[in-house]
Amino acid sequence: MIADIHALAGAYVLDAVDDLERAAFDRHLSECDACRGEVGELREAAVRLAGGTWSVPPPRLRDNVLDEIRKTRQLPPRAAKPVVAPAGRRRRLVAVAAAVVLAAAGAGTAAYQIQDQRVRDAQASAAATRAEQERVNSILASPDLTVRTQQLDGGGRVTIAYSRLRDAGVVSLIADAPPTGGRVFQLWTVHATKPVDEGVLAVGQTSVVKVIDHMPSASDVGVTAEPAGGSRVPTDPMLADLKIV
Amino acid sequence: MQRRADAMAERGTGRRPDHLTPVPTAPPDADELLRAVARGDEPAFARLYDLVAPRVYGLIRRMLKDPALAEEVAQEVLVEVWRTAARFDPASGSATAWVFTIAHRRAVDRVRAEQTAAARTMRAGAAAIDTPYDSVADEVSGRLERQQVRRCLDDLTELQRQSVTLAYYQGYSYPQVAELLGTPVATVKTRMRDGLIRLRDCLGAGVAA
Repeated sequence: MIADIHALAGAYVLDAVDDLERAAFDRHLSECDACRGEVGELREAAVRLAGGTWSVPPPRLRDNVLDEIRKTRQLPPRAAKPVVAPAGRRRRLVAVAAAVVLAAAGAGTAAYQIQDQRVRDAQASAAATRAEQERVNSILASPDLTVRTQQLDGGGRVTIAYSRLRDAGVVSLIADAPPTGGRVFQLWTVHATKPVDEGVLAVGQTSVVKVIDHMPSASDVGVTAEPAGGSRVPTDPMLADLKIV
Repeated sequence: MQRRADAMAERGTGRRPDHLTPVPTAPPDADELLRAVARGDEPAFARLYDLVAPRVYGLIRRMLKDPALAEEVAQEVLVEVWRTAARFDPASGSATAWVFTIAHRRAVDRVRAEQTAAARTMRAGAAAIDTPYDSVADEVSGRLERQQVRRCLDDLTELQRQSVTLAYYQGYSYPQVAELLGTPVATVKTRMRDGLIRLRDCLGAGVAA
């Protein structure tokens, strides 16, 4: 995927890629001036396709939107991005993995906002999500970050990124499908051979990004399939088991 | 048609010449408006809304088919534009492109969510309905834009056109497009890119808002 990533420029602009490809391509863009130029130009062309879809929105949309913005706090400008010098393959892999975790965090937010129809609830939880996302970002920015990725049994992947300095880590689970039989994913850490529940996903939920405190002092981060609502001890087999060393 | 003519007549003759000019005389500039929006300027946001909402709504409606759903997603997108206006980076492209990138991605997310849930009901007749719009000038420039886009799409090879439009208007991923067209994935990926390049060259320095 990385080798011919440049060929992905068109699909990327058309949003015809999946989250992992998008994260990888975003990463590629941050290191490639020429590609940024090309993507910018292709995007202007793609946008013109939207011009062909002119359709008058219902007048109440205008009122609703103007109403809503009066209640919506604006984000501050982004701080200048630190330039990451390409420094060897390992560092780059770490950065790609971190970008994947970040992208998954973003996707989670969007999915949540879309699922929830009630705007006020969505705003409250979006604020919580943003706070969580800031924690995720701060962990991912730590200088001693270690990143591991493993395939999930049944399709998908689990990525963990942890920092001893922060005594915390981030786990990202992106499954191709929910577990069979109405079961759900549950996250675990293992501390001194004892499993600790780190959260249960909802029925049908296939992705999550979560901060786990004290992750570096655990020996494992694992994922199992459990009955809805979760279990007190993990049910074998582990669908993923990432070792922390 | 009749309704439209009546509406024009009602506006009176004083403003007609302006409205019949294909290119609006002093079009509000999206980049400028977005900069003001980033500073919390609500009237500027209202003007930006008027400039982009018909296309945002039209695009989302075309992709999602369901008008009620399209309205909901369009609202999310436009509020998101307000919320994140200060994050817009002019170096990465025009304000209009930024807005439609948000709109398209949000609509694709919704399309994919529905595909995953296998709940997507394919409805025939995806074409957007021509509704009389408040401003005749806007409508004229909209129609010109539509003609030019159509002409440039006709300029593409069949495979380029299908690859680009299935992804952009239907929200399909490139592997899905490849399957639909019975074409290798790598080919579709390439056609998306060279199709867009050709589209860019054809549209040239056109009337982008």
